Amino acid sequence: MTTKKMSRILCTTTSLVAGLTLILAAAGASGPKELKTIVIDPGHGGLDTGAKGKFGTMEKNITLAISFKLKALIEQNLPYRVILTRDKDIDVSLDNRSALANNNNAALFISIHANGSFRKKAQGSETFFMSLDASDEETRKLAYMENTSSELEKRIEEENKNEVKMILWDMAQSAYIKQSSKLAEITQEELSADPNLKTENRGIKQARFKVLTGVACPAVLVEVAFISNPDEEQKLVKEDFQKRIAEAVYQGLKKYTKLYS
Amino acid sequence: MDRKKAVLFFILFFLLVVLAAVFFKNSGSERIKKSGEIPQPAVSAETPVQKTMKKVTLFFLREEDNQLVPEEREINADPSAVREAEEVVAELIKGSKAGLVSSLPPETRLAQLFITKEGVAYVDFSKDLIEKHPSGSAAEISTVYSIVNSLTYNFKPIKKVFILIEGEERETLGGHISLDHPFLPDYSLVVKE
Repeated sequence: MTTKKMSRILCTTTSLVAGLTLILAAAGASGPKELKTIVIDPGHGGLDTGAKGKFGTMEKNITLAISFKLKALIEQNLPYRVILTRDKDIDVSLDNRSALANNNNAALFISIHANGSFRKKAQGSETFFMSLDASDEETRKLAYMENTSSELEKRIEEENKNEVKMILWDMAQSAYIKQSSKLAEITQEELSADPNLKTENRGIKQARFKVLTGVACPAVLVEVAFISNPDEEQKLVKEDFQKRIAEAVYQGLKKYTKLYS
Repeated sequence: MDRKKAVLFFILFFLLVVLAAVFFKNSGSERIKKSGEIPQPAVSAETPVQKTMKKVTLFFLREEDNQLVPEEREINADPSAVREAEEVVAELIKGSKAGLVSSLPPETRLAQLFITKEGVAYVDFSKDLIEKHPSGSAAEISTVYSIVNSLTYNFKPIKKVFILIEGEERETLGGHISLDHPFLPDYSLVVKE
């Protein structure tokens, strides 16, 4: 009896505390809570050089340089912890990149890339978020997810559990498409707002990026300028240009976090 | 004596001419016989193979604005859609004849193509499609959709396209666009005229 009472009291107090913190958070007060995590993903690395320029610039080096600058900006100015999917020139599989974000309970995922095209004149920056083809399999998978997610564990037989988890994992990003599109929009706005960047605004686009499909939080992939375009390749290697890109992406993140978290 | 010789010579010459005539006539008739035998199957063989051409539309990149642009091409018509689809892919690999940009490395070879009952075309390329690929999101998107659009646009039985490399499913061409699923066409990438 007393234990029941005790637990009831405990329950009410915890819910009260939870409610209070919610109210406080809503009011903008920052309690002593654990820092949220932003995962930055410098594209490619190791044997995977990414796109290569006429003057020998490799995408993997540019993405890492920009990511370091972005990490520093976030850590200096925003209450977030930053994790890089790689901090040196090594191979990291695409699955491991999204797994790192999910295992660290990331709040946001930003993949940094530089573009490449068969067209020599291709230029400009663009921001991608994941797309779902309206294909039958997708619809079926999504319907399956919606029907199963909560009762899943109870209903599914032991041997099928792995398969179901695989489907959920595979489609994780589909639950965040709306937020991701907003993040892409804001980031792209910032990229085209800086007059000194002088890169053509190619807008936001949707594509089924392997690295984004499994990420269980809002996620975008930024393509800054074209390494395959010699003019832009020469910009990309410049410290100042990299700084400006990092600054623009940082401004986008800042705006997004103010609006949505 | 001289006369006799001349007559003899004349007779010999006459005989020679007659013989020659007979010989050539014979060989001629033989030739006719032969040509009467051979051309017949040749003619009958040519009628089905008789090159009926089919107009197809390929999609290449335009240098100035990243849009896919249709280019008409003639291929040999074939009762098999698979054969015709193979030709379309081969023509894509050859590249544009109108100065457009090709999105497939010229070294690429088509290994196999088949179409399932459900309308998925599995197109299996040599590893050059990955190894000679310039990488980059834009490059990968243009490669994927010049293949997918060119196949779905020309062949009604093809609804989606699955890209394979050396007989296997690959994660991506160069680290970006996922190849783990069959692609629907995307005609929003095609120029609007």
